[in-house]
Amino acid sequence: MTAHVRTPATGKGGTQFLDPAVLGRISNLELLAKTVVDGFLTGLHRSPYLGFSTDFAEHRQYMPGDDVRRIDWKLFARSDRHYIKLFEAETNANFMVLLDVSKSMSYSSHEVSKLDYARYLAACLTFFSHRQRDRVGMVTFDHEIVEYVPPSMKRLDTILHVLDRAEAGRAGSLHEPAMQIAELLGRKGILVVISDFYEDPDTVLASIGPLRARGHDVIVFHVLDPAELAFPFEEPSGFEDLETGEQIPVIPNRLKDDYIRLVKDHLEKLKRRFTDNRIDYTLLDTSQPLDLALFRYLLAREKAGKTR
Amino acid sequence: MSLALLVPLFLLGVAGVVVPIVLHLTRRQRRNLVQFPSLMFLEKIPYKEQRRRRIHYWFLLTMRALALALVAIAFARPFFQQDTAGAGAAAGPREVVVLMDQSYSMEIGDQFDRARDEARRIFNGLGPLDRASLVMFGRGARVVTRSTADVSQLERALDTVQVSSSITRYGPGLKVAQTILEESELPSGEVFLLTDFQRNGWTGDEGIRLPPGSKVTPIPFADDAPDNVQVTDVSLAREALSGRERVTPTVRLARSGGEQAQEVMVALEVDGRELQSRPVTIPPNGSATVMFQPFTLSQPHTRGTVRIPDDGLLADNARNFVLSPGTSLSILIVEGSAAPRDASLYLRRALAISEGGRFEISFRRANVVRQQDLDGIDGVIINDANIDGGSAERLRGFVEAGGGLLLLLGPASGWPSSAAEMLPGTLGSVQDRIQGRGGRLGFLEYGHPVFEAFSGARSGDFTGARFFRVRGFTPSDSATVLARFDDGSVALAESRYGRGKVLVWTSTLDNFWNDLALQPVYLPFAHRMSEYVGGRTEALPWFVAGQVVDLADPEALEMAGLVSAEAAGLAEGLDQVALTPSGQSVVLPVGEGPRYLPLEERGFYTVRPPGSDPDRPFVIAVNVDLEESILGKIDPEELVAQIGTAAVGPDSGQDFAQATEMRLEDMERRQSLWRWVLIAAFALFVIETLLSNWVSRRSGVPGVATG
Repeated sequence: MTAHVRTPATGKGGTQFLDPAVLGRISNLELLAKTVVDGFLTGLHRSPYLGFSTDFAEHRQYMPGDDVRRIDWKLFARSDRHYIKLFEAETNANFMVLLDVSKSMSYSSHEVSKLDYARYLAACLTFFSHRQRDRVGMVTFDHEIVEYVPPSMKRLDTILHVLDRAEAGRAGSLHEPAMQIAELLGRKGILVVISDFYEDPDTVLASIGPLRARGHDVIVFHVLDPAELAFPFEEPSGFEDLETGEQIPVIPNRLKDDYIRLVKDHLEKLKRRFTDNRIDYTLLDTSQPLDLALFRYLLAREKAGKTR
Repeated sequence: MSLALLVPLFLLGVAGVVVPIVLHLTRRQRRNLVQFPSLMFLEKIPYKEQRRRRIHYWFLLTMRALALALVAIAFARPFFQQDTAGAGAAAGPREVVVLMDQSYSMEIGDQFDRARDEARRIFNGLGPLDRASLVMFGRGARVVTRSTADVSQLERALDTVQVSSSITRYGPGLKVAQTILEESELPSGEVFLLTDFQRNGWTGDEGIRLPPGSKVTPIPFADDAPDNVQVTDVSLAREALSGRERVTPTVRLARSGGEQAQEVMVALEVDGRELQSRPVTIPPNGSATVMFQPFTLSQPHTRGTVRIPDDGLLADNARNFVLSPGTSLSILIVEGSAAPRDASLYLRRALAISEGGRFEISFRRANVVRQQDLDGIDGVIINDANIDGGSAERLRGFVEAGGGLLLLLGPASGWPSSAAEMLPGTLGSVQDRIQGRGGRLGFLEYGHPVFEAFSGARSGDFTGARFFRVRGFTPSDSATVLARFDDGSVALAESRYGRGKVLVWTSTLDNFWNDLALQPVYLPFAHRMSEYVGGRTEALPWFVAGQVVDLADPEALEMAGLVSAEAAGLAEGLDQVALTPSGQSVVLPVGEGPRYLPLEERGFYTVRPPGSDPDRPFVIAVNVDLEESILGKIDPEELVAQIGTAAVGPDSGQDFAQATEMRLEDMERRQSLWRWVLIAAFALFVIETLLSNWVSRRSGVPGVATG
């Protein structure tokens, strides 16, 4: 394995395709995922399709960081240039996205809701993994499993369709769906959990921990809206819980500091618990481009020894 | 006799009586309601509470609360429960589903007849209250008889079923069974699976979940795998000789089983007449290849069959095909007047090298494209020409009508801004890539028809070509980038326009700006790109049973072997009648939308207008899917274990509970007390409203009951 992930130049190149506000104008999820992944990969200057296995496919120009053992010295003798030999990669692993479609995910304080952001992310990662020749699958859940697409090489279209029609409608709870998913997934693989985790960190760990314990590589993306992190409200208002419908009167000026402190504690506790359980955790702000998530995913794959 | 509730959970609605009180006591102004994902972190800070008003008229409040309570009780569906002793003592009636495999592997020996006899035995064993369905399954599933207690009807249906040319898929049949059991009101269900249990038919991903209390009974009918020889493939190499096309069939045979080498006579039939036969010896579990002498292909829709003698499995002993003489693609190459003299030399030479004259090239050296130049043309290649506005408009009409346009960008290339939206992007300036040894192609969309042929290993290496100069190109949002250089810039982009397509190659196809023309991959690349621009669809010599052809889709018809003009005529023409291999007529009336012809039988389908009898009707050859010839078995118990149901006996507690539940529901339905309770609640509401209005008129205070 010789993959080296580099950060592309900021503001230019592939990252222009990663801005959620721009992506929101593309209605076709497959086109969106293709645009993001292609743009992202162009920025990386690396081919995602080929790896080093047994079936020779073609040559590629040597790039700093490539394994020098892969250089084709005979070709070097003929062409005076360094090339490395690429091989048809084999099917790697089961790649499964667990997407939270509970009502709270529909919240947005700007153009892109948390669910939209999570859908873009899920589509990109699934598309990406499909390009990596993984078997890709998808589970959407709220307090139970809403849609389940088993991992397969042939179901990218089904997954994109499921993502396309995913709607946030009901209250969510991670525990029951996670238990069901643990039963459904026989083969070890990569699980990406995308949620806003409005539950006690201990409950979250009790739900996701068994998946990790079964040998899956679990990557968690915690998607939050900027307003949930900064609490920019000023006027005294009634606040209604999107999932339960409960309403309480709130005077934001009195409450803001305490709210931010509680959220920060919650995030730190979540991060600590996940890290202790060797689960990759990334907090995502829906106003930020998708590249952070894609890089975190690549890093996680690299750690798991699954990149080529 | 005692009072009971069918849905006691609705009694929770009685809690609704506190609603008027709570509303009265807590009603306060709420402004600027903000929806927030979760109130998990928000402390509750109430507003300054309003003065709670006193309740003055308790009797009105009591009436409202009583009315609400009656509504809740009505929804809980009260009834007087009679003695149910002895209920459920007998086993409940069953919903029986007989799933019968009709894939072609069931024709081995007498498997299908035995399955039919077993199904008849099951139907004759039904109880007086049982209901049964007969479902035939292969690739899909078909309900022959649905949920009936009429045994004679089921037996008559059994007499009509027969083996098909389909393969085995357990999923659809079990899904149908699942639906029937879910819709049934009977307390228990049982599925009988009558099949040879081929492993190919089950992937484990079917997601079958039969309702609780259902039972699956597998009944295997697998004979020992016979010594089977199958025609696995027929290769039809074509060559042009003296203006006529000659076809050389090469047949590949495979044998499974056997203990000694076997000689097999392979016969080639063309248009129903045996032309040649060849003996070949096949070892046990081995394969062999037979090459026939070439025959002349002169007539369209020529039917051919390669046949071997009958053995244990008949369906794979013949391979049918349909051939028509090939047609050429008309390509117009437009070369700019300012372009170098040999700008199209390599391209023209490459297209001239083709078997049987696949390309008919016309050439024009000018910056203007006339309308007469486009007549009868399938695709246009603009090679380094500065096209004017009028030509662009003519090309716009050509593309909108379904033509293909390829722009090869060079130093003199230009495109008018009035037609800029036709292109998949905007043209840029000339860029030099002279650093090092030039640029390379870094990304190819191997899923696209142009590059699909190069997707396999050792199928063509594009990395050897060096690009020293390209034209900048910025793709539009709707464009698809098919190839990029190693610096990420666009090499080939495509967009759809009208019914046609426009492609832009950002370098030349000569050896001046790049050396692609000197690479081995150049010739097949030029052919594939020209075929794609010209809209050629590879004709399939045969289809596989289970596929569907849309007779209203010209592309599908071209794939089935019709030339473009014929396909367009048939797609837009009159009603059609298809004659199946077994002699059945399928009428396909013309109209809006698709005209699907399901290809379910092996053999030849003939399509013609009704009442006509053309000499050479349009024919579609259909062969069986050879996946079914792989006779590996799955353990029936293993399959049943994966279906996701517990084998629950008819005397289980769950069945008993369900049967009892049904009787209670019947009891409640007969009494229908809820109607009277609801009427009482409505009457109370009316009285309370009248009283409330009377009291408010007297006191001059609205809504005094609760404030």
